[in-house]
Amino acid sequence: MKLRARWLLGTVPLAFLLVLLVAPAARLAMEGGQLPWSTPWQDAYLRWRIEWSLAQALVTCVGTLLLGVPVAWVLARFEFAGRSWVLHALMLPFVVPNLVAAMGVLALLGPQGVVQALGGAALDSGPWLLLYGNLFFNLCLVVRACTEALGQVSASRIAAARTLGATPWRVFWRVEWPAMAPWLLSALCLVFLYCASGFGLALVLGGQEYATVEVEIYTLVAHELELAQAAALALWMLGLTAGLALGYTALARGLAAPQRADTVPRRRPQGVGQWAAVAVALLVLALVCAAPLVAIVAKTLHAGAAAWGVLWEAGTLQALWNSLRFTLMAVGLATLLGLSHALAARRSTLLRALAFLPLVLSPVAVAFGLLLLYPQWTASLALLVGAYALLAYPFVAQSLAAGLDAMPRHLGQVARSLGASPWRVFWRVTLPLLRPALRRGMAFAAATAVGEFAVTLFLSRPEWATLTTRVYEYLGRPGAANRDAALVLACLLMALALLAFAVIESTNDAMKESTRRA
Amino acid sequence: MLELQNLCKTWQGRDLLRDVSLRVASGETVAILGPSGSGKSTLLKMVAGLESLDAGRVYFDGQDITALAPERRHFALMFQDFALFPHLDVQDNVAFGLIEQGLRKADARTQACAMLERFGLQALARARVTRLSGGEQQRVALARALITRPRVLLLDEPFSALDAALRLQLREEFRQRIADVGMATLLVTHDEAEARAMAARGYAVEQGGLRLLW
Repeated sequence: MKLRARWLLGTVPLAFLLVLLVAPAARLAMEGGQLPWSTPWQDAYLRWRIEWSLAQALVTCVGTLLLGVPVAWVLARFEFAGRSWVLHALMLPFVVPNLVAAMGVLALLGPQGVVQALGGAALDSGPWLLLYGNLFFNLCLVVRACTEALGQVSASRIAAARTLGATPWRVFWRVEWPAMAPWLLSALCLVFLYCASGFGLALVLGGQEYATVEVEIYTLVAHELELAQAAALALWMLGLTAGLALGYTALARGLAAPQRADTVPRRRPQGVGQWAAVAVALLVLALVCAAPLVAIVAKTLHAGAAAWGVLWEAGTLQALWNSLRFTLMAVGLATLLGLSHALAARRSTLLRALAFLPLVLSPVAVAFGLLLLYPQWTASLALLVGAYALLAYPFVAQSLAAGLDAMPRHLGQVARSLGASPWRVFWRVTLPLLRPALRRGMAFAAATAVGEFAVTLFLSRPEWATLTTRVYEYLGRPGAANRDAALVLACLLMALALLAFAVIESTNDAMKESTRRA
Repeated sequence: MLELQNLCKTWQGRDLLRDVSLRVASGETVAILGPSGSGKSTLLKMVAGLESLDAGRVYFDGQDITALAPERRHFALMFQDFALFPHLDVQDNVAFGLIEQGLRKADARTQACAMLERFGLQALARARVTRLSGGEQQRVALARALITRPRVLLLDEPFSALDAALRLQLREEFRQRIADVGMATLLVTHDEAEARAMAARGYAVEQGGLRLLW
């Protein structure tokens, strides 16, 4: 593709980013600039919010590091029945909506939760629920990154270390750990970013005392109308997340492309010690990543017919319809934007990095900025769908960029020499080969849109309630019946997320096949 | 007759190709030799129209085709990795160029099957290209290149991905098939023995220019 055509194609997503992201962020900066920059730090209450946001992100990083590295090592080095199934299942938390995870944690550990029903104590306050929710989302991310990194360690390097006198433990520290460290660090960067700017989990699980900065921003805007103070807080968070995102980008750029020619063969565990290691790793994954989802299903099945009746309420059907149509519109728009961005950014690192921008700003900051900049459009469907698409399209762009990277340039050149015009090359060669990557990106986009919560809270009208806002609405009402209804709705949301998960996992295999074929 | 006049190309500030001029008559095969990075593959892509020229002209039968899009030159290009389309089977790979010329899919497939028969590959018509051996993939790539009866055949290291025995066998087969069709052929390789076996004339790319070897 010629340079001019590439930039022309790139103008569509760039203009979109400018209107829906950069301009609102600038407006946010103006609003926040009305107060001294140190305002949030001078107020003890706001300072605690910031400190707690950072502390819970840091604790989550430490937790995922301590649990994730051993689990990843076991998955990377041992072969056992169900291993590939476990690796597939590690994708699941990536598509589970925040609210579903929060409901899962409550169903497991909260009042009248599964643990209490089994004779344990319920947790209804303190930071533990939020930290557990954070672990649910982020442990899989660290495990996947480390498993991938360990898969790149060359077998000959390990053999050389062993013949030079290193014990297996020394081999881990001197050969495997240095190879894994950059991957781990970049994954921890993402974990910190997600946790520090988290909203849904903190809103439901943090309570008054342990709410994060994002929840505080929402409270200041929606309930106290303290816009300048909220903007000042949002600016601090923006600076923090931008710094972390830059760090992540720098680290991710240094990660080597997969070199799988000489990988360490996985072996069957031998002896009690190795089988125990496998069992403990699986137990950790089951307790942290699977238990909340199982708890939702278990609690929902015991909820009784009255709770299931919520599915047929007019409000629920309307919310389901809204969720589906907003998702459909957002995925359509995100696909167009992601496709043009990926094609335009094929040989431009700068353009490619710009696709990450929507992930740098938290959804709360995005929605708040839009609210400030376009007050006349806050109840407009176009703005709502645009905001959904903004949060979803980086996934399409990233997936397609990876698909394009895996595609040899020669294919297009041969097609041109065989008489195909650039458009025909795109239609007959590029698009068919990109199909798995496109499906994967669209599935991630759909999972993001269907579980979207923060933007909907800020920008939607009451009649545009989605499944997520309906879960939150039921959760806010007193009584066990309402909590059960929220659980049933969360189960429905989880089913939609599982659908996206199934599509993603089926395309994972197709992408591997497509890359191998290309 | 393919004619290159004073082609120039700079890359990262250095003269990759400088005043390259060459004539290749129909039915003739000319080899371009040179080490990696010498610019020989770039020259091939410039002839195909896939790489822009900093200066110079490309003519075919006296007509200036310098500004002509690659798909309108009616040349065929073969790469060392064969560049078969992995989402299409053998038959549809071979039929690709015919469909681009406007032939109906069914007719293109019929012609592709006939071509595959001439190459002894008819049993593989519906096979996935990824299931083929290196030699079979190479033959399919040649069948795909030849089926549209291109005016010029451009070969970029066509045998370098094959083992030595297969390379020898296919070299002779290619030479014969190209001679049968009788088009101008430009072969780029780093293997002089291969170049001498296939081409009537050979040039080395040296300091951006061409030096006649034989």
